Amino acid sequence: MQKRELSLVIVLVLLIAVVSFVNPSFFTIDNFLDILKNNVVTLIPTLGMLMVLLIGGIDISIASTMALAGMVVGLLFKYNKIESTLLAFIIALAIGAVCGCLMGTIIGLGNVPPIIATMGGMYIFRALAYIVGDSQWAGAEALGNYKDFALKNICGVNVTIWITLLCYILFFILLKWTKFGRNIYAVGSNAEAAQISGIKVARVKIAVYTIMGVLCGLTGALNTSIYASAQPNSLTGKEMDVIAACVIGGVSMSGGRGTVAGSLLGGLVLAVIAKALPLIKIPAIAQNTIKGVLIVVVIIVNVITQRMMNKRALARREM
Amino acid sequence: MAGKSGRTINATPQNVWRKRILSWEGVLIVILAVVLVLCRAMSATYTLENVLREMPKYLAEMFLMLPMAFILMMGEIDISVGSIVCLSGTLGCFAVNAGMPFPVALLIMLGTGLICGAINGAIIVIFPELPSMIVTLGTQIIFRGIAEIMLGGGGSIAAKNADGFRAIGKSLGIVPIVFFLVIISGAIFVIISTKMKFGRELMAIGSNRLTAFYSGVKVKKVLFISYVTMGAFSALCAIFFTAATYGANTTTGKGFEMDAIAMAVFGGISSTGGKGKMIGGILSAFVIVCLRIGLGQKNVNSQVILLIIGILLIGAVLLPNISARISANKKKAIS
Repeated sequence: MQKRELSLVIVLVLLIAVVSFVNPSFFTIDNFLDILKNNVVTLIPTLGMLMVLLIGGIDISIASTMALAGMVVGLLFKYNKIESTLLAFIIALAIGAVCGCLMGTIIGLGNVPPIIATMGGMYIFRALAYIVGDSQWAGAEALGNYKDFALKNICGVNVTIWITLLCYILFFILLKWTKFGRNIYAVGSNAEAAQISGIKVARVKIAVYTIMGVLCGLTGALNTSIYASAQPNSLTGKEMDVIAACVIGGVSMSGGRGTVAGSLLGGLVLAVIAKALPLIKIPAIAQNTIKGVLIVVVIIVNVITQRMMNKRALARREM
Repeated sequence: MAGKSGRTINATPQNVWRKRILSWEGVLIVILAVVLVLCRAMSATYTLENVLREMPKYLAEMFLMLPMAFILMMGEIDISVGSIVCLSGTLGCFAVNAGMPFPVALLIMLGTGLICGAINGAIIVIFPELPSMIVTLGTQIIFRGIAEIMLGGGGSIAAKNADGFRAIGKSLGIVPIVFFLVIISGAIFVIISTKMKFGRELMAIGSNRLTAFYSGVKVKKVLFISYVTMGAFSALCAIFFTAATYGANTTTGKGFEMDAIAMAVFGGISSTGGKGKMIGGILSAFVIVCLRIGLGQKNVNSQVILLIIGILLIGAVLLPNISARISANKKKAIS
């Protein structure tokens, strides 16, 4: 394990220890499972964002894609077009894939800066979520059996947590041990060198954004099921939480650096803080401020340690 | 005139007018005219008077576009401006409700903006390794977070004595005061970016930061000034937005940063730095504002407007790229 992840583990353990000391009710398995379940919608897209950041891109359209996918699924149940949960997931994934592929094509082939392309996507997909809804939304009674999906438990653990775990294992393998995963790192470290050495950079970019879209579709469908409602304005601003989780987890915004373990830890730190603050008598209203301060502190500390390490490396070379 | 190498150097380019019309700014003027004609044809209430009356609410966002264009020209970004608007508006309402005279409230709002901008600028200047996107993401959450704490459980505040804000929101004849201010500040920004050293330095930094640094541009100073200006204009935006709404809540200014960036990018100011003209940003801002008012009058779902802006945004960057690629291919085919 790298130093970076180790320090995050220490932060996480300290955090849990302090909160548990102040309020023992925090340190229960049920509570931890609760935290995980509540943060499934951040943890899953974090994986996609990790890949996007690794190739030096960014995707701020993800919350809109999730809302669109969740909205379509909700409406299909509302108007009794579909009955099966599996079909709902397939449709959501397909919508996500189309949105992501569109973004990837514009960025990869059209050479549009990622922030601009996905900002356009953010507007377009959110607008589509409203337009398909036509000022309707799907509530709990309209969703029928679908909302029960998120209540299922397997071996005492919620099914959404199993799905998240499966995603993390898949992506760990994908990024570490497959050619595609290594190509992603190559493109992020030096796109030009990657191109010259025979990696089809545009194709990698399209694939990465498509995968991001698929994960958004999955998240959107899960969100509809977990909260038993599909609304066009759901998950607004989620993209920033996801980016923050990645950055706290040590993923570089300029590409090429970052790991699945790091981004998971980053997401968990944010999740634990959100749950812990009310328990240690800090009002929920101050949560965002603390989250923001934490992000700024973490990135600054990261830079300072990097500078010190560079200086030490330089000193060693001079001797 | 012959240069040293014997090549002829022509200082006055030919076809000035053709070039001007074919430039992106020329296209924007055409688009603006089309938008105005279409909106007028669609809706009988789309008169000069009505449009000007509805403008102040939207014009407030134009204050954000101007310094945002500077920041984008340097290849940086600031996504905290919406939160600065929120915090500044909240503090202004608190100041007015605490019985302070209106000018003092305005100073407090401006001061808030300046301090927030200075915080962003300081972090970015001291830690150049950090991407501005992530720094301003952090401060975005903090600034809005502070406003949330101040607003407390209710999450909103109304100015009890809104006379001052009402006075600012007034019109001279049919033209709102804010319109004049936007035009004046727009003109100042155009002059700075085209005629003054500061504007040239911005472009130098955006094109190649290292070269700019070695040719004597004080990169850190320019960066810092730009972010402080961004903060100050966010406060201006907050002042005029509050003058249209007489209050603030936790969602005030949400998404303003994206609107400002969209206006600048649609105006041809590249987010990768070193490209674009201020006048383009101003024109595109008017296109978007006029379009919004027109579609709003036809009771078109406000989300459709987002859809159109999204497509415009991608199209504005995508189409030139595609045409450049096609002409490059043509050249290759000829040779």
